[in-house]
Amino acid sequence: MLKSDNIVSHKQYQIARILSWTMVIILIARYFQIQIIEHEIYKLKSNTNRIRKVTKSAPRGLILDRFGEILVDNYPVYVLTALPGEMNNKRMQFNLIADYIESDSSIIRSNYKKYYRGRFVPTRLAKDIDFLQLSNLEENKLNLEGVYYDQIPERYYPNGVRAPHLFGYVKEIDRVIRRNLNNKELYELGDLVGWSGLEKQYESYLMGERGTYFFEVDASGREVGSASELFDTRPDPGFNIQTTIDLDLQIFIEKLLENRRGVILVGKPETGGILAAASAPDYSPDLFTGSMTESEWRSVKNDPDTPLINRYIQGTYIPGSIVKMITQIAILKYGSSDLNMTYYCPGFYQFGDRIYGCWVTDGHGEVNMTQAMSMSCDVFFYKTVQEIDIDNLYSAFKEFGFGRKTNIDIPNEVAGLVPNKDYMFKRYGKYGWSKGALLNLAIGQGELLVTPMQVLNYINLLSTKGKSPNCHFVVVDNLPNNSKPKLEAMIWQQVNDGMRSAIIDKKGTGKKSDPKIDGLSIYGKTGTAENPHGDNHAWFTGWAEYINDKYSIVILLENAGSGGGVAAPLANKVFKKLVNNSLATLK
Amino acid sequence: MILLRKQAINDAPWKILFSALFLSFIGLVALNSISYQNTTIIQNPFYKQLFFLFIAFCTFSISFITPKYIIHKYAFIIYGVGIFIVILPFFGSAHAGTYRWLDVGLPINFQPSEFSKIFSVIALARYLSDNNLKIQKFRSIVLPILIVLFPALIVLKQPDLGTALVMLSIVFPMLYWAGARPFYLFLLIAPILSILTAFNVILFSIWALIIAIVIFYARTKIIAGVGYFFGNIFFGLLARPIWEILNPYQKNRVLTFIYPEKDPLGAAYQIIQSKTAIGSGGFFGKGWGEGTQTHLKFLPVQESDFILSVIGEELGFMIIAIILITFGYLLNTIIRYSFLSKDKFSSLILLGLGYILLAHVFVNTAMTVGLIPVKGLPFPFISAGGTFLVTSYIMIGLIMRFSIHYSD
Repeated sequence: MLKSDNIVSHKQYQIARILSWTMVIILIARYFQIQIIEHEIYKLKSNTNRIRKVTKSAPRGLILDRFGEILVDNYPVYVLTALPGEMNNKRMQFNLIADYIESDSSIIRSNYKKYYRGRFVPTRLAKDIDFLQLSNLEENKLNLEGVYYDQIPERYYPNGVRAPHLFGYVKEIDRVIRRNLNNKELYELGDLVGWSGLEKQYESYLMGERGTYFFEVDASGREVGSASELFDTRPDPGFNIQTTIDLDLQIFIEKLLENRRGVILVGKPETGGILAAASAPDYSPDLFTGSMTESEWRSVKNDPDTPLINRYIQGTYIPGSIVKMITQIAILKYGSSDLNMTYYCPGFYQFGDRIYGCWVTDGHGEVNMTQAMSMSCDVFFYKTVQEIDIDNLYSAFKEFGFGRKTNIDIPNEVAGLVPNKDYMFKRYGKYGWSKGALLNLAIGQGELLVTPMQVLNYINLLSTKGKSPNCHFVVVDNLPNNSKPKLEAMIWQQVNDGMRSAIIDKKGTGKKSDPKIDGLSIYGKTGTAENPHGDNHAWFTGWAEYINDKYSIVILLENAGSGGGVAAPLANKVFKKLVNNSLATLK
Repeated sequence: MILLRKQAINDAPWKILFSALFLSFIGLVALNSISYQNTTIIQNPFYKQLFFLFIAFCTFSISFITPKYIIHKYAFIIYGVGIFIVILPFFGSAHAGTYRWLDVGLPINFQPSEFSKIFSVIALARYLSDNNLKIQKFRSIVLPILIVLFPALIVLKQPDLGTALVMLSIVFPMLYWAGARPFYLFLLIAPILSILTAFNVILFSIWALIIAIVIFYARTKIIAGVGYFFGNIFFGLLARPIWEILNPYQKNRVLTFIYPEKDPLGAAYQIIQSKTAIGSGGFFGKGWGEGTQTHLKFLPVQESDFILSVIGEELGFMIIAIILITFGYLLNTIIRYSFLSKDKFSSLILLGLGYILLAHVFVNTAMTVGLIPVKGLPFPFISAGGTFLVTSYIMIGLIMRFSIHYSD
């Protein structure tokens, strides 16, 4: 059993003893050094200096309009934070706080759980504390050990612009969001992160860098200064971004769309910059800042008019007659038509065993190509489009950027749809569709789906003879490449003539859009898109030339009736506004 | 057999138990001071500690009356159980990202790695006390190292660097105690130091000189000596290029593992607060319950890892010195009994357990005053913490049992 004898030598014993005492003495000596020799230093420190680490969110960069006016600003709001390690009775303190700020203690407790990161990391309890509440808290500070307040920058929209779809919103980072972020080490709980729109697209510019402060606090927990042995870093504000938006015009078109459903886009074709963009109905841009209640959120989310959808990049619409220029271009490019052809329009067209109606049931009579465009005669296009096939039409659409994302600089854009042969075969089978589909596509009906942003790009390209850069809200060094349609000068001219006569011709469908101002010439095309889900959508698309400026415009009004009757008068107002603004800048 | 003779009980070194109880008493005083703010009894570290002290006393009694021969006979089985229980937590869920805790369905969790330390000592003592072992041979010291390395690596994976270091720290003292050639122990430690010193030219040169001197005095064969010397130099020279190959992310991981102070949010802050608390205490301390650093909760984990800072602040250098001297006395009593022990197995167990306590005391105390990086290790008998308190008293029970000269 335990028979092997112990043969430890005296030397071994001495070494083991010396080693153990040495270690104990080193420790005693070190305590002696700190507690006796350096006592005065530490005593001074403990009387005045206790160090607390606090991090501070950086203010996000501002979003400016084209003239440098502030569209999206920051505004300091008070938040209530707690250092969990310093709180002595959480339940009691939460109840007290709830009383003072007229909130519910369960909300405060759930915030605490949501933002808790560690015993000595400030944890947010409540936000948007007003001055009265703050003074309440201050009076009762003795009961609220470990509770502090702090200012944080929050988004604020100073100039009355709404444009919630454009700016997007920021979200406060909670545990779940933080876990799913790609660069989570850059964010703390309670920081803001761009969640949609420009805020999301330009997050890396706007976000800035958080700062870290070390404070010395006195025996009652008050901050008395910064800690000398640890280095502070200031929060580094994010970069401002300058948009192409014209503040004044933006407000104007938002007013125009009040109580309507639809889109207005105004752009500058030579640059691709967008001057104003509105999608209605919208929601207040500060819906997501502050404390949105559950019921507010639900009412916005479940609104049948879908205010959360950004219609100009996410709404897909049947274009109707506004794409007749594409048909015209395709016919002139791929067909053999000569420019002087005329057709008789009796108000309908029989193709096979089906009757295709013109929108004017009495017919347009004898029309040439320019007149067909001006009066938007469907029958003319039914006839002429038969010279080409569906893939010709498809490639003309593609050349003008339809059926793909425009790469506008706000996220979650959709691509719309332009059918070609493959698509039709896949969808309807080999014998499931006929050339009749082509007749529908020629007048912008059928399977076609476009977004208003694609239409703006298309108008930009038409007005610059294919040279317009990509649409954008923020000028960046390298814009995505836009499609560059190449056409004979004769075709461009024909398109121009047709769109011009739609405005100035006595029978022109878009004549109501013309405010008849000297020096202002308008080119346009209306559309009244038949819509299986309700009343027709009204379109007006076109551009205005005034002095040296060129403006493109897209108006879409959902279920509002005819383009010429409803959308064109709105365009009229926008053109007037543009002229006034342009005169104002000249002075 | 199980029950001890009256004579044996009288002969047991009760001063060891009393020293431990004295330390626990100081711990309770400090815990009571920081506990008054906590409302419920279950959260109150003082009452918790009192409760665990009672359990610890029961486990002490059990380990005290367990016959030596049973422990000797089943040493390797005990060791196997030790390995098994440190693996167990990996099958459960992570607590704060670690796998140290075993959820036993009670309101208290249980940290099995604490027990494994004891089991490793027992296995090591059993192996090294074997009559047939030729301890002078180099290969005889390789297996003991593997015996502790295996559980230590598992614990390291939990991850718990502190406990793993404590486990490893016993192997060299026990080998030395068992009679291994110090030169061989040196050979084993040298490469590690070669790598560590390689980052500083002066240190590395001094170290190379030390190696040369040791090899010279050990009178090895010339080829072996020269080979070993250059082997170490090579190791050292290799360390830097390997370090450079690591990408910054990996380097950072290694650095924060070794120096948690690199994280300004965590450890640097803790050390500053701890030193301020201790230093401001002075010779007599600020008085019981008067520690401002402590009571404003600037000190993190004050009831366990930083309990000495609380004592240093409130009770002063005087009590700290008493604690450390009491411990020194306790440890040297153990070493003396180890030396006087009739059989090798008992002697090795006593030394191993003593050095486990020493490793804890040294790492914990040195950490509170910023001598070494922060490692989460408690101070034996004083720090709050159920499992560790219970294991500490099991060790005391074993130490007292193995100090009795009668063989049963």
